[in-house]
Amino acid sequence: MTDRANADTAVSPAAAEGTGSSVMIDLIELTKRFPGTQDPAVDRLTLQIPRGEIVVFVGPSGCGKTTSLKMINRIIEPTSGSIVIDGEDVTTIDPNRLRRRIGYVIQQIGLFPHVTIEENVATVPKLLGWDRDRIHARVDELLDVVGLDPEIYRQRYPKELSGGQRQRVGVARALAADPPVLLMDEPFGAIDPITRTRLQNEFLRLQAELQKTIAFVTHDIDEAIKMGDRIAILREHSHIAQFATPEEILTQPANEFVEDFVGTGATLKRLKLSRVREVDYTTDALTGRIDEPREVLRRRLHESEWTAILLLDADGRPQRWLRGPDFLHDRPVTQLGLPARAFVEGHATLSDALEEMLLGSAGVAIVVDNRGSYLGILDIDDIITSIQTMRDADAEFHRAAKLVDPLDEVAE
Amino acid sequence: MTPPSRTPETLDEARSRADTEDAAARRRARRAALVHYLGMPVVLAGVLLALYLYVGGQELDSIEARTLTADNLIGQTRQHIVLTVYSTFFVLLLAIPMGIVATRPATRRFAPAIIGLGNAGQAIPSLGMLALLFYVFRTTPGLPSTGTVPVVVSLVGYSFLPILRNTMVGLDQVDRFVLEAGRGMGMSNGLVLRRLELPLAVPVILAGVRTALVLNVGTATLAFLFGGGGLGQTIFSGFQLRRTPVLLTGAVLVAVLALLVDYLAGLIEEKLSPKGL
Ligand SMILES: Nc1ncnc2c1ncn2[C@@H]1O[C@H](COP(=O)(O)OP(=O)(O)O)[C@@H](O)[C@H]1O
Ligand SMILES: [Mg+2]
Repeated sequence: MTDRANADTAVSPAAAEGTGSSVMIDLIELTKRFPGTQDPAVDRLTLQIPRGEIVVFVGPSGCGKTTSLKMINRIIEPTSGSIVIDGEDVTTIDPNRLRRRIGYVIQQIGLFPHVTIEENVATVPKLLGWDRDRIHARVDELLDVVGLDPEIYRQRYPKELSGGQRQRVGVARALAADPPVLLMDEPFGAIDPITRTRLQNEFLRLQAELQKTIAFVTHDIDEAIKMGDRIAILREHSHIAQFATPEEILTQPANEFVEDFVGTGATLKRLKLSRVREVDYTTDALTGRIDEPREVLRRRLHESEWTAILLLDADGRPQRWLRGPDFLHDRPVTQLGLPARAFVEGHATLSDALEEMLLGSAGVAIVVDNRGSYLGILDIDDIITSIQTMRDADAEFHRAAKLVDPLDEVAE
Repeated sequence: MTPPSRTPETLDEARSRADTEDAAARRRARRAALVHYLGMPVVLAGVLLALYLYVGGQELDSIEARTLTADNLIGQTRQHIVLTVYSTFFVLLLAIPMGIVATRPATRRFAPAIIGLGNAGQAIPSLGMLALLFYVFRTTPGLPSTGTVPVVVSLVGYSFLPILRNTMVGLDQVDRFVLEAGRGMGMSNGLVLRRLELPLAVPVILAGVRTALVLNVGTATLAFLFGGGGLGQTIFSGFQLRRTPVLLTGAVLVAVLALLVDYLAGLIEEKLSPKGL
């Protein structure tokens, strides 16, 4: 089973009882009434966030998600109720001290435009009075963790980065002092869909390692299903419509509101629950080294049952797809065939993999490890098989199958 | 995910091409910087030289000769500069802190009214404003009625509102999410002000200071009317006595001074504005 699923089973029994230290964030009757408004924006929100889990707040716009989140680090002071973090009531402690222990990532990112990436990331460590060498080392480490080369980016200014890179810095900055708790308000909301998927995946991989306790706000149910260990579906005034795992929300919606909110195509959404590594993908596809003589490669392809051979570089990273006729051209191997595309990692969802297949030209996704080295090949049939085994043939299933059909044409 | 692999040749070629492009770009940048830094001083020196040659080539009558002495002109220029510098110093000392105070959460709701007042204040003609302030000085017992002090106070009064307004606008336009991120990381209000709000407002505040400085050079021309001296004396005597060389000398000196101040303020603005904006 997956790390996430293990974490689930390890934590949930205790979490359900609300005892012991497995609860990291405990919101009790949290209420916010903005001055001059009739109804409270958040009305007696009571919720427990287990240690090491991502709990997603999802709901329609204006239902109070942001307000709820910002009360946890008291950017918005609650009107009443209390916040307990790791057993300590933080409702009235010095908010600045509280906030230095909580990472905070917002959709608008809010990088400081007048200082370098390094100084941005170093903000909290500086506030905490770390010495210079320690800060420097930590900044390098973090930039590395979020996939930005410190040599290149340390001294840059935010405006010199793309939106996706800025949000990586935003995440690095929030993690700087290694806070146990992270608050994220639509962190990937303003980023283009392809980059968003990549950032989501990277973040999940990071989280598998870091095991932070995370409150994550989104209005996008798909993102909630993908990111959440648990999902709180909120309706107006932050009233909880359902608080459960993604699986439960998809298979046993508690009420009509949840059903409507999750929407149609719930089976297709289940593709977001299955990960590539859980699928029986092909690991014995025909491969070759890009520096092997072309004659050797050609013969290997010819003698096999495969229609194409995947060329890898010295580090095992996929480079090109070659088919039989490609060898007729008199060009170096490095210019034959098609560039290898559509890479997915083991923790990617089947939904992501499907998307990648559509973008690639070979009709398959190449499974790679976190350094980009080849692991295997995932094709449409693998996904269809996994849909079929996923659920009994309910009405939803047929709808999903219909949706998958046209992909075969695209793949060809 | 996989970086595109390049052969060593193309990489080297690319490098050397980039080097040549770099060098060319650096040369262009140096030339641009030279024009940028030296252009204005050279032009101003040229104007002064032309003025000198023109006046030197004239047959000066006794009145002109008496007015256009080096002592006279240098003394008036110095007075003019002193008036401008003093008034600018005091107005910064007053208006910037007030702008900060007026944009704190508790007072923020008054900000639009103050900014409106600032805009209106600038619409009052400077002579009218000066006269008004002088009237106050004259009629209030215990206050000096002529000299540097009332002139400086008047200049401060006149440039106060634009600087206050720019300080407030500058602080107001700072991205609120930048501030929220700062607070969210545990920066105190003072730190947010010092490390985020003020640096990010500097370009707008300094633009206000620059405008006020130039404004003060111009307005200080009226100072002589109230016994404050300055180059206004030369301009007005040239005007009253119908002596074109005198009038021209005064006017050109004030214009050169204003442009020089604007140039210097521009350099300071450049230096103090944070990089990365
Ligand atoms: N500062 C504020 N003053 C008054 N009302 C507010 C303020 N912030 C949010 N609200 C109101 O509170 C409700 C919840 O807002 P918010 O938490 O931002 O919703 P969401 O993040 O779910 O879209 C909305 O009706 C919004 O108009
Ligand atoms: Mg929101």
